[in-house]
Amino acid sequence: MKKITVYGELNLENNQINDVTFELISKAKKLAVEAKKLKQDINYQIEAVFIASYLVDDEIKKTYKSGADRVVLIKDSVFDIFYSTIYANAFLEYYKNNPADVILFPATLKGRSVAPRVTAQLDTGLVADCTEAEFIIKNEEILFAPTRPTFGSELMATILSKKAPFCATIRPNIFKKEFIYSDNGEFVEYIPASYYEERIKLVRSILDKNENTVDFSNANVVLCGGYGLYGDKSDEYFIKLKKLSKITDSKFGATRKVVDFNLVDSKYQIGQTGSNVEAKLYIAFGVSGAIQHIQGMKNSKTIVAINTDENAEIFKYSDYKIVADAKKVIDDLLNYFNIK
Amino acid sequence: MNIIVCIKQVPDVDDIKWTKENNLDRNNMLSKINPYDEYALNAAIKIKNKFKDTNIVAVSMGPKQAQDVLSYALAKGADRAILLSDKAFVGSDTLATSKILSGAIKKYCSDFNLILMGQMAIDGDTQQVPLSIAQLLKIPEVINVSEIHNADKNMAIVSQKADSSINIFEIKTPCLLALKYEVEQNYIPKIDDYIRAQNIPIEVYNLQDIGLNKDEVGVIGSPTMVYRAYRPEIVKDTKEIKEDYAKRILDFLLKVDKK
Repeated sequence: MKKITVYGELNLENNQINDVTFELISKAKKLAVEAKKLKQDINYQIEAVFIASYLVDDEIKKTYKSGADRVVLIKDSVFDIFYSTIYANAFLEYYKNNPADVILFPATLKGRSVAPRVTAQLDTGLVADCTEAEFIIKNEEILFAPTRPTFGSELMATILSKKAPFCATIRPNIFKKEFIYSDNGEFVEYIPASYYEERIKLVRSILDKNENTVDFSNANVVLCGGYGLYGDKSDEYFIKLKKLSKITDSKFGATRKVVDFNLVDSKYQIGQTGSNVEAKLYIAFGVSGAIQHIQGMKNSKTIVAINTDENAEIFKYSDYKIVADAKKVIDDLLNYFNIK
Repeated sequence: MNIIVCIKQVPDVDDIKWTKENNLDRNNMLSKINPYDEYALNAAIKIKNKFKDTNIVAVSMGPKQAQDVLSYALAKGADRAILLSDKAFVGSDTLATSKILSGAIKKYCSDFNLILMGQMAIDGDTQQVPLSIAQLLKIPEVINVSEIHNADKNMAIVSQKADSSINIFEIKTPCLLALKYEVEQNYIPKIDDYIRAQNIPIEVYNLQDIGLNKDEVGVIGSPTMVYRAYRPEIVKDTKEIKEDYAKRILDFLLKVDKK
C-alpha cells in the first residue's frame, strides 16, 4: 500500500487542529480516489502526523472524518513550544521507519520552517506554495504533480520530483475541508527521543495589536489608491480616499509605488510584499496594475478599476472598467457625502 | 564578528519579458538585487556600524553578470564578495542551490557568526532556501524577522512577525536570520563608495573549487523539474462603465453584502 502523509498543524494555545490541516487531508483523500481511477491496483493510505504534547479525542475524530485513515501523534511535552529544529528532527525520526510516497505540508509559517529541513535531510525535492495538485501517469508510473503560481501568478508551473517522497507545501484556503468520511481509524502514539533546543529560545510572544499592520483578511470592501492619485498637493487624494473608506466602512489600501514614495504608510500596502486581499468589492483608484499588486488582489470577487490609461494592466483583471481621472471620481464621491 | 549575506540577482519585475517558450527572457531584462536581500544587507551594515570589527561577506550564486550585485554590496559596505558561478549550476532548484551556497560557506567562510538573507526572492518566491541552508549547515534559524534588536558575536535577539503575534527569540550564533521586512533604512551608495569598492576583488569559485559533484547541482542534481508551465488565461469579461462614474461606484458600495 502506498501512503500520503499530511504534516498536521495545531494551534499551540489550545491544541486544536488548524483548518489548513483538514483542507490538506481532504485533498489527499480525493487524490487517493483519483489515483485509483488512473491505476486500479493503486491504494493510497492517508496518514496525518501531529507533533504535540497531546491531542484530544474529538480532534482525532475530526481528523478521521476529514479523510485520514491513520492518525499519528508524535508526543512529548517539549513540543509545546515550536522550534523548527526539534519538530523536524522528531518528524524525521518517525519518518525513518514509516516512510511515505507523498508528504504534504501546510504553507504556513511553521510548515514552511519544517518542510525544507525535512526534505533537505531526506535529500529530496520540495515544491513550494502549491495551489493545485494531481496525479499523472508518465511512463506507466504514477507521479504526484503539484502546480504553483510563480512570478506574481504570471506563470503556473507544474513540477515533478525525480525521487520519492514527493513533497509540497500547500497554501491555506485553497482546498475544501470536508468532514464526510468515517469517524474512526488507526491511532498511533509515537514517543521520540527527546530533542531539546538549547541554541534558540522563545523569550516572549506578544499578541500583535496591529498598530503597525492593517488586517485585510476579513475586509468586505477595499479602496486602493495607486500612483495615479499623486497630484500637485502630494498626498491630498490619499487622505481623501482614506476619508471615503471611513464613511463607507471600507478598508483603505495602497500600491507599493505609493508606499515607496512615502505618500502612504507601508502598513496599507497591498500586493506581493504587502497584504493579500480577497474582498467582496475591490476598487482601484489610479492603480496601473503591476503584477505584484495584481497577485495581492486578483482573488477579490468584484473588481472595479479607474484609470486614465485605457490600456492599463489593471483593466485586464477588472470586472468593471472606468477610463477617467480617479481624483475627479473621488471628489464626486465625497460630494455625495457632502465632504470636501 | 563575521556576517554572511546571501544575495540573489533578480530580474526587475517591473520589466518582465517572456520568451515564446514561457521562459524568462533574461537577456532583455534589467537586473537588480533581490529587495529582501537588500534588507538583509542593510541589517548587516547596521551591525557593522555598531561593532567596527565586523566583517561582511556577500555571497551570490549566478552568472558572471551577478558581479553587478556584488559590486553594489561592496559599495554599500561589504568587506568581501564571493561569486559562485559555473555552467553546471544552471537550472539548480532550491535544494541544489542550498547545497552550492552551504558548500561554499563551509569552504570559504565557515567562521561566520550570522547568516543574513532575504526570506524569498521576488522571481522565485519559494522561501525554501534559508531553511535548507540552515539544515545543511546544522544551525538554528529565525524566519519572518521583522526586527533585529541586537546581534553580537554570541547571540542575536530578534522579533519574528507571525500571523497574529510578534515572537521574540534569543538565538545563539552561529545562526541564520531570514528577513521579510525592511528593518533598517536603505543606504544608497555614492560614487566614493563605488571607488573604494573597486579595490576589493570579487572572488569567483566554480563547482570544482567548492568541491561538489556534478550530479549534486544544476538540472541533474535538482530533485524537482518543471513538467509544464503555462500562463493562466485571464478570462475576465470586463464591462466598461461610460458615465455616472461616481454614482455607479456608490451603487457597488451600497450593494455589497456586508455580513
